[in-house]
Amino acid sequence: MQYLFSVIDDATGTGTAEEGAAIDAFNDRLQAQGYWVFAGGLESPSSATVIDNRGAEAILTDGPFVESKEYLGGFWVIEAPDLDVALKLAAEGSKACNRKVEVRPFQ
Amino acid sequence: MVASLTRRFGDLDLAEEAVAEAFATAVERWPADGVPPNPGGWLTTTANRKAIDRIRRENKRDTKQQEAQLLYDDGPPEPLGPIDDERLRLIFTCCHPALAQEARVALTLRMVGGLTVPEIARAFLVQATTMERRITRAKAKIKAARIPYRVPSAADLPARVSGVLTVLFLVFNEGYLATGPDTDPIRHDLTAEAIRLTRLIRALLPEDGEVTGLLALMLLIEARRAARVSASGELVTLDEQDRGVWDAALIAEGHHLVRERLAAGVAPGRYQILAAINAVHTSARDVRDTDWTQVAALYDQLVRIDPSPIVALNRAIAVAELDGPEVALAAVNRLADQLAGYHAYHAARADLLRRLGRSQESRAAYDKAIELAGNTAETAKLTRRRDQLG
Repeated sequence: MQYLFSVIDDATGTGTAEEGAAIDAFNDRLQAQGYWVFAGGLESPSSATVIDNRGAEAILTDGPFVESKEYLGGFWVIEAPDLDVALKLAAEGSKACNRKVEVRPFQ
Repeated sequence: MVASLTRRFGDLDLAEEAVAEAFATAVERWPADGVPPNPGGWLTTTANRKAIDRIRRENKRDTKQQEAQLLYDDGPPEPLGPIDDERLRLIFTCCHPALAQEARVALTLRMVGGLTVPEIARAFLVQATTMERRITRAKAKIKAARIPYRVPSAADLPARVSGVLTVLFLVFNEGYLATGPDTDPIRHDLTAEAIRLTRLIRALLPEDGEVTGLLALMLLIEARRAARVSASGELVTLDEQDRGVWDAALIAEGHHLVRERLAAGVAPGRYQILAAINAVHTSARDVRDTDWTQVAALYDQLVRIDPSPIVALNRAIAVAELDGPEVALAAVNRLADQLAGYHAYHAARADLLRRLGRSQESRAAYDKAIELAGNTAETAKLTRRRDQLG
């Protein structure tokens, strides 16, 4: 079963070197233990573009889909047998990147 | 299965009907939901639940004895059987920390306690549709997020048990606070339900101090139920209760459990200390015999592990009996900012001011307490005390 760990970031500051090192160590553990599917950090929301092609023409908008104090800073996709395992890993992830992490199952 | 149900409920007809209903439900549900991992256990749990439902539906007077049997349990905890394993798995799942507190309470009462949704809704004073949604959402989350259906591992157990105890104490308190002639009788069942489930957890973890402590606490509080509300529907506080109507059997068991924990020689947790405080109170034949020194000492212990303002308030009330109302009032006043919205804070102030002869201030405090108190039995008592100020 796959879970998305969303890193909840806010504008108070970018990641520190310590956080980076902790995240690397965590990622190594995830890969070694077979939980890792994919992960990555995201550039700031100001670098985003929204495309709406539901109508006749694709409309482009500069910026994130919603301006908010908190936004997605990065994420992990992991494979875990149940929520207890996922939550334990997410707790490590939250500690490593020093942010709140949302755990959500894939369909 | 009929045998074990009969043993439990002492009623063969009831057992047979409950088992038949369980099979009928299985035939109905398993094709759609899939066969559960432990079909025998599922059937037994369902039959148990249906038997409980049936007892509840029947006339309360007839079943008072049956419910009393579920409430009292003098024997040593029996070894856990497969039915109990099933119920424990269920309790821990329903009390999973990923679920909101109110969802845990609702789910536990529905899935483990066997209460119907309307009953739970009435017990917690919400609309049935709201309660239905709450339970449905919780079940959906368990499924979608794959909350595992199991008793936690030994490493995880202590933290998880703590969560379960919180839920059980919440259920107990809801039942306990139900007072007054207009109260739905279902709320009284909640205390029995909470006690029953705590006994189950204790069978799983007989050495766990806080589980034993919570059970003792519940028994010692429940023992005083008959004395708590006067004929006119007014709350009767500990100092005014007719101790002759306290339940001696529940008190005896509560004391036995408290002594068991004292003998264990392990630093007590919150529930154990609260149980010990209640044990001191229930040891006194008359309120004047209360060993307030012991009570105050126990509150000193409690404050160290639970520095909440409510504990500080209760400690001050005990201190009043030792050092007088002036000292106690000073301690209570220090909690003003934190407890301004809590009726018991104003009630305590009102009582202390009354004892100091400061009637005007006492009256004002009673007024505030009455304004904040939700419970009609409590309001009646506060009103009477205020009016007696003259």
